[in-house]
Amino acid sequence: MNGRRARDVVLWSVVAVNLVALAAPTLIILGASFTAGNIITFPPDGFSFKWYEKVFASETLRDAFWRSLQASLVCTAASIPAGTLAALALARRRPRFPRTLQLYLLLPFTVPLIGSGMGLMMLFGELGILGQVWPVGLACCIINLPFMIWAVQASVNALDPDLENAAATCGAAPTHAFFTITLPAVTPGIITGALLMFVLAFNEFLVSLLLTDANTVTLPVSIYNSIRNVITPDLAAVSVVYILVAGLAIALLDRMVGLEIFLKSKQS
Amino acid sequence: MIRVLDFLESLRATLWPRAARRFEAAAFLLPALLLVGVLVLGLAWMADASLRLLDTETFELSEHWTLANYRDLLENDTAWIVLGRSVLGAAVVTAVTLALAFPYAWVMVRTGSAWLRKLLLVSLFLPFFIGQVVRAYGWLIVLGKEGLVNQLLGALGMGPFKMIYTYGSVLFGLVQYMLPFAVLLIAPAVTAIDEEVELASETLGAPWWRTFLEVTLPLARPGLVAAAMVVFTLALTDYAMPVILGGGTNDFVANMVYDAFFRTSDSGMGSAVAIALVAAATLLAGVLLTWLGAGTLGFRGEAKR
Repeated sequence: MNGRRARDVVLWSVVAVNLVALAAPTLIILGASFTAGNIITFPPDGFSFKWYEKVFASETLRDAFWRSLQASLVCTAASIPAGTLAALALARRRPRFPRTLQLYLLLPFTVPLIGSGMGLMMLFGELGILGQVWPVGLACCIINLPFMIWAVQASVNALDPDLENAAATCGAAPTHAFFTITLPAVTPGIITGALLMFVLAFNEFLVSLLLTDANTVTLPVSIYNSIRNVITPDLAAVSVVYILVAGLAIALLDRMVGLEIFLKSKQS
Repeated sequence: MIRVLDFLESLRATLWPRAARRFEAAAFLLPALLLVGVLVLGLAWMADASLRLLDTETFELSEHWTLANYRDLLENDTAWIVLGRSVLGAAVVTAVTLALAFPYAWVMVRTGSAWLRKLLLVSLFLPFFIGQVVRAYGWLIVLGKEGLVNQLLGALGMGPFKMIYTYGSVLFGLVQYMLPFAVLLIAPAVTAIDEEVELASETLGAPWWRTFLEVTLPLARPGLVAAAMVVFTLALTDYAMPVILGGGTNDFVANMVYDAFFRTSDSGMGSAVAIALVAAATLLAGVLLTWLGAGTLGFRGEAKR
């Protein structure tokens, strides 16, 4: 038993280091956003909402927020059908050349973001669609698409194929079987994937930076542009938007599918 | 409900007769294939630009193809320094991240307390969902020249220390950024390990650290390989941390690409650097994927019964 205690002490020390590193930026930003002073100090100079008021009053930030929201919605809307259908095809319909297909569909992950971003920037520039918000959403959908396919596939693999076969044997037409058996069964995967796609698009920085101009900056780019100057608490107040969105997404994810789904073994 | 389905079914029967069933897989895959196709097209465009030389008088790329950009790149000493810094940085970040992430994943999977597991999961997802810029900004507040750490040390009569805009701060930011990716890739592999195997090793008298190093670690290899690959390539090609926490003094390869495009307006050279990086990263990923298998990364077909 002594060995176990030693093990727990060592492992828990590592976990504690992790927890501090993971939580520090979030907690500090939360704390800094409520300061009454003009610079960020420790201990904080009193408590106030004045930086929130300033942020809400800023038209630039509000516009950037709406653009980010639009881009994320475009990304999510495009990735749900594309990712769901692809996952169903990969898991159930035995496409030809499965290995090549797998490598091809993983390209958005194996190609570095700076490469994808620059390539899309040049292509979109040539097509004359730069300077709008929807191409940013489309780009976010492309670069994160494997997440959507993964999420749905996990659900498809958990669905017993005999259920679908039974539906077919009992005379259900393919469309009936799809909408009453397959789709409900993969819904948790679609929810997980859609939330991931939304949140990742909402905070995507590099691709936004490359695909936007001064009139179409999204929120992460807007924050980045302001970081360059002096560090003031207004940025902390904006950043709290991200903490709220992240918290909401996690709560939804946990409520609807359970965070534990990410611990599931892929081998069994 | 049934009527809607009947309508959809008759629609399908007309538009998509049974004879077309063998094309179903292709039809289902089409949207995803097209989306990734846009990316491939963009890369092809960039590859084309990388083969054209910038005319410094007209600021246009040449009509004919040449390898001059790649030759210049190979002869550029700064490029080699940046590459060395990125590769070394990515290697250090990968080692540190895996060392931190593995125990975290193990505790998260093995703990008997559902409450604790939830806490560890939420701590992981919160930063993952907050994004790089906001996290980097948080570190600026903590580590900056007039940041919280220096204020605290100043109160004790020490410092101020220069912690920001150094190589160390970039690597630190990268490790923190990579932790959630690594843990989430390792955890499923730990779940797959039968706890009995670890218990057997303990019962046979192995000290805990030997069980950990010689039983758990090798069995978790699929997850570790996937995590190492993802962390290494993401760190190697990162843009945000070097630019925000490095402040231009510790550029990585991606910053070089950006500067070529937007500072010197040489899209030919920028494309060449980007293509070289894409080729290297894809090759590395391809070799690892074929050699070691997709690990926990692959899209798995057929469910096992």
